[in-house]
Amino acid sequence: MNPKRLLAITRAGIMESLHFRLGIFVTLFANLIYLVLVYYLWKAIYASSGTTVVNGMTFEDTMIYLILATALFNFLEMFVVWDMSRSIQSGKIVLDLLKPMRFRKYTFWSYTGNHIVQFVLTFIPTFVVVMIVTKGAIPMGLNLVWFLAATVIALMINYNIEMLIAPICFFTESTWGVNIVKETIVLLLSGATIPLAFFPEKARMVVSYLPFRAVYDIPLSILLGKNGSDTWQGLVSLFALQLAWLLVLTLAGNLFWNSAVKKVTVNGG
Amino acid sequence: MHKRGLGFYARIYRKILIQDLKSKMSYRADFIISTFGMIMTNLSGFITFMILFHNFPTINGWDYYHMLFLYGFSLVALTPVQCFFDNNWNLRFMVQSGDFIKYCFRPVNVFFYFISEVFDVKGLGQLAFGIGTIIYAWIKIGIPVTPLVIGKLIVFLLTASLFMIALMNFAAATCFWIKGSGYVMVIMFRFKDFAKYPSSIFEGIFKIIFTFIIPIAFIAYYPSLVILTPDNVPLLSWISPLYGILFVFLSYKFWMLGVRKYDFTGS
Repeated sequence: MNPKRLLAITRAGIMESLHFRLGIFVTLFANLIYLVLVYYLWKAIYASSGTTVVNGMTFEDTMIYLILATALFNFLEMFVVWDMSRSIQSGKIVLDLLKPMRFRKYTFWSYTGNHIVQFVLTFIPTFVVVMIVTKGAIPMGLNLVWFLAATVIALMINYNIEMLIAPICFFTESTWGVNIVKETIVLLLSGATIPLAFFPEKARMVVSYLPFRAVYDIPLSILLGKNGSDTWQGLVSLFALQLAWLLVLTLAGNLFWNSAVKKVTVNGG
Repeated sequence: MHKRGLGFYARIYRKILIQDLKSKMSYRADFIISTFGMIMTNLSGFITFMILFHNFPTINGWDYYHMLFLYGFSLVALTPVQCFFDNNWNLRFMVQSGDFIKYCFRPVNVFFYFISEVFDVKGLGQLAFGIGTIIYAWIKIGIPVTPLVIGKLIVFLLTASLFMIALMNFAAATCFWIKGSGYVMVIMFRFKDFAKYPSSIFEGIFKIIFTFIIPIAFIAYYPSLVILTPDNVPLLSWISPLYGILFVFLSYKFWMLGVRKYDFTGS
């Protein structure tokens, strides 16, 4: 595929999301209030616990983790399932499928534009603020490069999870239900709601091999130098886990999509 | 528009409700998956809660069973907004596509007609989950069961539910002014997750903000104190019904202001 064409789609995606500038500003503001809530909750929790370190996480670690997880969540959030179910109901999906390009590829690159905008406008400002406020609690060095790499892989894994779920709408004509199940599972098991370090031992063992962790927990662990990511060995094993899931999910997504797309029924369009 | 009686609106509501339920029945798979999804969200909230208590035995002086009561209280208080006001989530799509105009052409209140169009059945699962949690915590704490306490519980559960209704009305109505305002609703809906923690955790200016401006403290904390600490009820708990009614009224006015603005753009 001609990279120029992909770039054009990405550019269109950027333009589209910049169109909602006020929306982005409101998002930032609402996030700020949300983070204040998170701050007070965890401050009270740590104050009641009587110790400063719980499961290897200090209050500062937990806060940085949760703030960046929220920022990452905004930036990674995709509405593929929503969009697809909407276009199935309206019949627009037919037009998308008829485009002279693979639907999966087209969706991915047009979302990439949105991701770039979100990354620059929401993640980077949050990151800078956290960096200034915590005065060097985030180690600065090669880990930033690894973090970026892990985030890109996380983005692709996230997209593949979405693409694995979205075709379910073809069969069930369900929108809200499918989406909420996916979102709940991803948020809980990826460590976006509560850091995985707090999970009970056995649950953590299981969760640490699931793909959801690769979306939020692994990039953040790498950024903060936790979970052995400060050694080469640890770093390699985290990346290996991410890449293995990426491969599995891409293959599974491709297979499922190809068989599901034959089943599309559009009511009136 | 001239005023019509409550009886008139109740009759219309019943008719619209039956239509809505009929159309829902035709998407059976969707109904089952949505119910499953609702159970999943409640379960996930509960697991988060359990993990927290696994690590920290008390939060701000609140022990496990009191927190559980607060949690159940918030679930029940959030049921009305889930069941009766779910159509707010569709508002921004209707406004953007222009379909919203149809609501303006009926000889009934626009807000009433719009909101009544959807009744969300799956909210009932949350209600059952919440009631179960309240009863369990109630027995464990050993609160006496008298008609007076039950009466108070019902009144203050209703009170508590007003605040989330108002918040979601405000959040939904922002779409009349802001394009791409979906995230306002999403984040407002996430705020409710903090209703299940004692609001005594907030300090300073944020205590005021989360009590009066974004009244998270009223979604469960203040109303539930009437039951949990009957000897020491703060004044804010007693005035919460009045404040709730005022808040819903303001959100309604804001919503209607948006409708009027929408008329002007005439899209």
